[in-house]
Amino acid sequence: MSHEKNVCICRCEEVTEGEILRAIEEGARTVKGIKIRTQATMGLCQGRTCRRLIVNILSKHVDINDISKLEIGIRVPVRTIKIKNFIYDEGKGYE
Amino acid sequence: MSRKTDIVVIGGGVIGASITYYLSKRGKKVILVEKKDFAFGSSGACDQMIFLQTKNPGIHLELAIESKKMYKNLEKELNHPIEFQTIGGMVLIETEDQMRVMKEFVKRQKETGLNVEILDIKDGSKIQEGLSPDLVETTYSPDDAHVNSLELIKGYIKKAVTFGTEVLVNTEVIGIRTKNGKVKGVETTKGTIGCEVLVNAAGSWAPVIGEMIGLDLPIRPRRGQIILTEEVPPYIKHDIISANYITAKYSLDRSFDNDVLGKLGVGLAISQNHRGNIFIGATREFAGYNTETTREGIRRILKHAGKLIPGIVNFNIIRTFAGLRPYTPDGLPIIGYVDEVEGFFIAAGHEGDGICLSPVTGKIVSELIIDGKTFIDAKLLNLNRFRHLT
Repeated sequence: MSHEKNVCICRCEEVTEGEILRAIEEGARTVKGIKIRTQATMGLCQGRTCRRLIVNILSKHVDINDISKLEIGIRVPVRTIKIKNFIYDEGKGYE
Repeated sequence: MSRKTDIVVIGGGVIGASITYYLSKRGKKVILVEKKDFAFGSSGACDQMIFLQTKNPGIHLELAIESKKMYKNLEKELNHPIEFQTIGGMVLIETEDQMRVMKEFVKRQKETGLNVEILDIKDGSKIQEGLSPDLVETTYSPDDAHVNSLELIKGYIKKAVTFGTEVLVNTEVIGIRTKNGKVKGVETTKGTIGCEVLVNAAGSWAPVIGEMIGLDLPIRPRRGQIILTEEVPPYIKHDIISANYITAKYSLDRSFDNDVLGKLGVGLAISQNHRGNIFIGATREFAGYNTETTREGIRRILKHAGKLIPGIVNFNIIRTFAGLRPYTPDGLPIIGYVDEVEGFFIAAGHEGDGICLSPVTGKIVSELIIDGKTFIDAKLLNLNRFRHLT
């Protein structure tokens, strides 16, 4: 494996460029397909850094003009949040 | 591109993957066809439970117990780390009303052969820290288990491929070829595949495939929203659900219009995975094929979780997601050939039990297709049980 293939793309899950290229070889054509095969984007930061790198790698294999087809899968919460802050209501507390 | 095989399995979720594995293991030539990619629908957007206690005593629980037995050897069989663990499970009881239903439910479960007991909260708190003192009682069964659903699907597929199975992803079924009332093949976006038997394992999308031969399947997508916390040290020691999950699921009217859980919104389920993330789920809503998560749904789940296990509100959440559970009116999957077209087999409608029932479904389907019989009364799962409804 060449030096470039060992470049770490997803730090949270320690996924390398080589592993992402292999997922594409296996048929992944979306960010979600790469995620399911490699675990990339599934860690603490939920792909905040690596999903752009993954889209970049994918762009050599698929048409990225229709970005909705890439299943990038950004979900709430945008940043990690404590449950009690999410459910707290002014005047009502946590109930 | 035109090819031929013994059996085409439609759907790359946990049910399609399991069926493909068990059929190919018995020597059948199988092609698995998936519209998008494997684990892309409900099976990749669920929690991890193999919860026997949520199953209705009778055939439903019998299927789950058989499935659990099969799980014990599965990791070795598939030679893939599926993170299966028998961790035990608790059903938390919040009210006297729930208590009455649960006493009867547990009694009947014991008669079906499940190892389960009811504990008071003092004893319950010895095996799970942090339970709310407001709870009435809790059940406990050492038999409940969990598994990593993504790894499970990968394991089934990887092993099936070693038996010669072909997996076609990004391949959508667009039509069924029939001749004289018999299946002759499947038309896909990548060409026709000749076959005499097809298995519709498309889960919430099974009605789309059914429609291709004029079938109106009683399966509806029911959205389950789930929250994932960051990795934390072991905190949820057993898989946990709230009793309203059961009391609402089985003791009340389940028809599409009058479904109480659908209105109630949440059947709480909490479990912690291998890595330390806690799954907190899930809503049960009819929202068509919409897989968005909603602020209202997520907050309702988290508030309920905080009520039962108050300490949980101090954890951070990192993600929310939603999957579409394939609901049927009686809560049981539809498994078997249909009368209309020879060779058209259905295995779908597992609602939230797909992961739990995947091994036993693979077993039943492969036995019905290859041997023409299986270990349970297959009539109970056949589509014909709904005929009087349409």
